[in-house]
Amino acid sequence: MLFNSIDFAVFLPIVFLLYWLVFSKSLKKQNLFLILASYVFYGWWDWRFLLLILISTLVDFYVGKKLGQETAPKKRKLLLWVSVLTNLGMLGFFKYFNFFIENFTSAFTFFGASFQPNTLNIILPVGISFYTFQTLSYTIDVYRKKLTPTNDGVAFSAFVCFFPQLVAGPIERASNLLPQFYKNRTFNYNNAVDGMRQILWGLIKKMVIADNCAVYANLFFNNSGDYSGSTLLLGALFFTFQIYGDFSGYSDIAIGTSRLFGFDLHKNFAFPYFSRDFAEFWRRWHISLSTWFRDYVYIPLGGSHGGKWMKIRNTFIIFLVSGFWHGANWTFIIWGLLNAVYFLPLLLTNKNRINLDIVAQGSNLPTIKDFLKIALTFTLTVFAWIFFRAESGVVALQIVSEIFSESLFIIPSFEGKRLAVVTAILIVLFMIAEWFGREKAYASADWGLHLKRPLRWVIYAIQLFIIFQFMETDKSPFIYFQF
Amino acid sequence: MTNDLNYFLQSLLKFIPFSILFCVVGICLWGDFVPNLITKNLAKKEMIPGFMENRIADLTKTKEVDILFLGSSHAYRGFDTRLFKDAGYSSFNLGSSNQTPLQTEILLQRYLKQLQPKLVIYEVYPNTFSVDGVESTLDLLVNDKLDSNLLKLALKQNDITIYNTLIYSYYQNLFQKEQSTVIPFQKEEDNYIANGYVESEVTSSKKYSYKPQEYLFKSNQFDQFEKNLEILKKGNCKVILIQAPITKALYNSYSNNEFFDLKMKSYATYFNFNELMELNDSLHFYDDHHLNQKGVALFNQEIIKKIR
Repeated sequence: MLFNSIDFAVFLPIVFLLYWLVFSKSLKKQNLFLILASYVFYGWWDWRFLLLILISTLVDFYVGKKLGQETAPKKRKLLLWVSVLTNLGMLGFFKYFNFFIENFTSAFTFFGASFQPNTLNIILPVGISFYTFQTLSYTIDVYRKKLTPTNDGVAFSAFVCFFPQLVAGPIERASNLLPQFYKNRTFNYNNAVDGMRQILWGLIKKMVIADNCAVYANLFFNNSGDYSGSTLLLGALFFTFQIYGDFSGYSDIAIGTSRLFGFDLHKNFAFPYFSRDFAEFWRRWHISLSTWFRDYVYIPLGGSHGGKWMKIRNTFIIFLVSGFWHGANWTFIIWGLLNAVYFLPLLLTNKNRINLDIVAQGSNLPTIKDFLKIALTFTLTVFAWIFFRAESGVVALQIVSEIFSESLFIIPSFEGKRLAVVTAILIVLFMIAEWFGREKAYASADWGLHLKRPLRWVIYAIQLFIIFQFMETDKSPFIYFQF
Repeated sequence: MTNDLNYFLQSLLKFIPFSILFCVVGICLWGDFVPNLITKNLAKKEMIPGFMENRIADLTKTKEVDILFLGSSHAYRGFDTRLFKDAGYSSFNLGSSNQTPLQTEILLQRYLKQLQPKLVIYEVYPNTFSVDGVESTLDLLVNDKLDSNLLKLALKQNDITIYNTLIYSYYQNLFQKEQSTVIPFQKEEDNYIANGYVESEVTSSKKYSYKPQEYLFKSNQFDQFEKNLEILKKGNCKVILIQAPITKALYNSYSNNEFFDLKMKSYATYFNFNELMELNDSLHFYDDHHLNQKGVALFNQEIIKKIR
């Protein structure tokens, strides 16, 4: 079920009312109802893949329980491997099977051998990369004795499949989300209203910014051979805002929806396009995944301790894995490598933790130095997104070479310029709103809070009006569903 | 129920009608005062191609014709009423932009009795059986009268641009507002001729190439098409189905042309002029799927031969 669909607009109020009016007297019943609602939410897309969520839930619940009882290190390790292999096995099969087969075939052919294996027509289950990582973090934390295993199967199951963040995150840690299923939840008016505000802002990001940008990003990237460097650069810019609006919009809706049910999820985006360097960018972009990789891959590998070569190795590993997590395509791996290249100089010169604050905190405009840093980081980000979005590495290189040719100076030419101008205006207004809201949890968090109710409602209604007037009418799924 | 929840639900129940009212008033003001450049999801007369307004104006002066043309832009840009007049047939072209069977029904209900055609040439472009018909509904909403049938169709299509346009059109009707007082007979390179026909001055020599593709037909459009044929049968009209020529490059890129041909043959007399005529992509078209005047002349000559 898409957040920006009529189905969800009907589903959410029904679940909300039943949750608070019918099931609020019993915590267990409320959790069971959340499981049911989450399975309906997921099964709306394809009920067959509910089995995978169920497998993941059962395996990790029992592995967690056993880890709590077992003291022998070897047996504990074995249990951990059961969880890791189950989750990554499912992920590997559904997401990477064909990629490996195709690349093995290419490698065999390259060395002159003949190898004709069958690839499978595999459907990628929506959100598999998210819920497998979430449940995996539980067993790893229990294995590390950082978390007490749960005996409450219902709460654990609800933690794995909690519908607001099931298919595209934020990837929650058991230490944050699981305890919220243990305690009685009471409805809080301010939390719920703030949740609604965040949902509204998320819908603007997705339906107004991302979906409109998608029209041109798709047009230019899918027919890159037909366009000049200047038009392709425009396409890269549109994609830059598309992916941000799409994914951070999803996260806002997920966090806002969770608040309606009395849950607090972690922030997943913190105005990343205002970052002054790449270390800051990765502290602000897809935070739940970055911190997951930091805690479960980077630190176990030795992190930034050890010698220079170890730092370099670990940085490349984490960015490669991060790229590969996004999809079974070399473009994502190149994108990851590029980010490693951007990040490495900061790490090696110990400048990766200098921009920990919010840029231009307490002031309206950044200093010229900060502005130039933001501009440089943004430009390099746009460049990396070209590889992320292109159909293949070869196409990405063709796009880059076209952008760096004299056709960069030709006035962009394409069909639908009028709406492209409208989209550009919307992006500018959106980024202004983001800039002035960068010290808040989300840009519109305090809009109208100091005003009387009728005026505050006018502000909400204006946002709805903007959605209705500018939303893209061809519904498109969230980009991160495919990951 | 806690006080907080009670207050939240009460507030929400008040906010919903408030926001609906706000948006309705907003749409009317938006339509009146905001330049067309930025009215993305609100259609206005000046923004819709196809000269439907001129066609409707001509309809008020027309009674009883020999031939009625129905269909998409391939109809209103492909059947030159002047050439049919020269051949001795009075005719009216009721084609409109991307007209799908859903909108054809509305037009038939409104104008069939008045025109009483002996023959209906129904242009069937496979693409109009694969789309939801939003563009054509908008065309009717801004250019023709609002009635319960059109309202039903608009609600069935469930599209935000249709809702916005519907509200704005009702507001205009209510306050007797006209979007423009002068009906233009020329828009860019298109000329509205008479009796519904639009001629284009453009000649294109562009080369087209396409990846293999297929039409994704919608069953509701075929169902509606059958109903339209029933309406025509009841009106004692002879019906000929015609697929107008499109460029070879575009036509050959579709893999399910044969399926469509078989389907159309099962309904009525059907001619697919992509298979019957040899036209040149760069000489006879002004874009990848519309004939230029040179192409129209050849195409119409062939049709006249078939109906004689």
